[in-house]
Amino acid sequence: MLKINNLSAKIDNKSILQDFKLEINPGEVHAIMGPNGSGKSTLSNILSGKKGYDVTGEVLFENNDLFSLETEERAHKGIFLAFQYPLEIPGVNTNVFLKTSLNAIKKARGEKELDAIQFLKLVKEKAKELKFDEEKLSRQLNVGFSGGEKKKNEILQMSILNPKLSILDETDSGLDIDALKTVADGVNALRKKNNSFLIITHYQRLLEYIKPDFVHVLMNGKIIKSGGPELALELEKKGYENIN
Amino acid sequence: MEEQLKIDFEKKLKDFSYSDQEKKFRETNFKEFLKKGFPNRKLENWKFSDLNQIIKSNIGELTFYNDYKKENQIDKIELISELEHNKIIIVDGKIEKIDFKFEDKDKIEVLVEQGEETIKENINSLINLNNAFSNKFCKIIIKKNYSLKKPLVIYHLTNKNTQSKNTNSRIDFKLEENACLILIDIFKDNSEKNFLNIYYNFELDKSSILKNYKIDKSINNNIKYSYNNVKQEANSISETFILSSGSKFFKNEINCDLLGQHSSAFVNGIFDLDDENHHEIKSNINHLVENTKSYQLVKSVLEKKSKAVYQGKIFVSSEAQKTDGYQLSNAILLSENSEFNAKPELEIYADDVKCSHGSSSGSLDENSIFYLMSRGLNYKEAKKLLINGFLLDVIEKITDEDIKNLIKNLLGVKE
Repeated sequence: MLKINNLSAKIDNKSILQDFKLEINPGEVHAIMGPNGSGKSTLSNILSGKKGYDVTGEVLFENNDLFSLETEERAHKGIFLAFQYPLEIPGVNTNVFLKTSLNAIKKARGEKELDAIQFLKLVKEKAKELKFDEEKLSRQLNVGFSGGEKKKNEILQMSILNPKLSILDETDSGLDIDALKTVADGVNALRKKNNSFLIITHYQRLLEYIKPDFVHVLMNGKIIKSGGPELALELEKKGYENIN
Repeated sequence: MEEQLKIDFEKKLKDFSYSDQEKKFRETNFKEFLKKGFPNRKLENWKFSDLNQIIKSNIGELTFYNDYKKENQIDKIELISELEHNKIIIVDGKIEKIDFKFEDKDKIEVLVEQGEETIKENINSLINLNNAFSNKFCKIIIKKNYSLKKPLVIYHLTNKNTQSKNTNSRIDFKLEENACLILIDIFKDNSEKNFLNIYYNFELDKSSILKNYKIDKSINNNIKYSYNNVKQEANSISETFILSSGSKFFKNEINCDLLGQHSSAFVNGIFDLDDENHHEIKSNINHLVENTKSYQLVKSVLEKKSKAVYQGKIFVSSEAQKTDGYQLSNAILLSENSEFNAKPELEIYADDVKCSHGSSSGSLDENSIFYLMSRGLNYKEAKKLLINGFLLDVIEKITDEDIKNLIKNLLGVKE
């Protein structure tokens, strides 16, 4: 599904990722763990198309060259980034935003767009599953939401858009234990044969609830070690400094 | 220009048989205008918009005489179809039609006046020009306790063959106690390179309500000035909303004198400008007695080389304790060459007041754009959504639901 070959990224001539390699197959859950400044957020930004990086190397998503696609085209193809810091968009109603987003993606795929009634039914169902306060859906997008609500809103968007590859950028940070479980339930509900996940995190905590197939340790822009779920536990014990 | 003015004014006096009072009134105003000329940047109120220069560079030589004897075709005029309304149709400064078809006839009086006995000092030269050249002085009185059933729409139209002309129109309104008027100004221009000068006087008696919505949306090459002079007695409310967009140049000036306790004035506006358009809102809110309130919110979205100016003044006299005055302006600059000028002025002589002002300007937030694009919206859609969101809170200030929806439709704001 996703193939990253020798990806290097620089920002203002400062090297952030170096010869980064990763392959994610359909249905797999990969976790990337690493300390602050190791390049985790850069990776998620580059995959979702944020501007401002000089990149070399190759990223293929379902055999499409990712760098030839605009941000919105990547979303149309099924890439979703759950933001580390979801933005507040004043004046934009959450429901209107969700519907615009879903229908933009459906339209690009040549699928039938949802009308208001179909959409409301879907969004109500998903909000209920995620214990997301329905009243918030009629508010301005993320404005006045708590940190936890913003993160839940990301997962709500993810479950409505049903992407093929979901990238979760430190979705667990700032969540209390109940919210963490709800978020994990949301992800697990989406885990299917064809849906893959790239989970970026500092801590092993989230991985207790979302069991990854692979764990990778990212340091100084490179994967220095890969393994199964047990690697996360090892990291928790030893710390990043002593992992080699 | 002075020669042209004199020729045109004399022709006007000759063609219309004015009463002595009206003739004197017009002559005095004419002399005042000759003395002062068009406002220029030497005047503090005009420092961001030098009208003299703007007329010179966009129009060149103006003429001032309009043949008001000829009838204009008004049956083909495209009217607002979304809402039922009363109407006044003004073509090239001439009132062609006054139609209050939805109202009780004995509740509305239309008078033709002859100009004031005395001329106020220190009024700006454009009011002098208007008084000298406008066709008729029309006064509309809304009787006590009467609320118009439908809004009144004033259509300001210009003819195709009108060019390089100055046209002037003036209407006075009196809202008697507890009366209510919703007034919408719509501008439709078939002409080019004209200078439209519009002057309204409003007397708001006790507990009356005026809502004036000015909609300048259709693109045109004319230069416009509009002056609202509002005098408010106790418990009266004036709400002004300006959608400033289509004209080459438009300056809207709002003067509100809060003369009675618990009167309040709201001035809100949107500058939605493109190309080299240059628009201004200038407000003077004069809090003259205790317990009065004013609120102003202006939002701008500026493309290309457009320029918006907001000069908001709050004046609080020494008697006007417990004044509540607020003003805020925010601008999004969509191009490096666009420009927003804000000059908040607070002149306060009372000590127990609550007054504040604020202003911000900046570009669209790229991170917000990225967020929306990562959800499948293209750049244009993301930008539109953000701009609509930015404008929404000022649109929400419109208290009339029908007009709010009309403005939303005009701006393409969806819900």
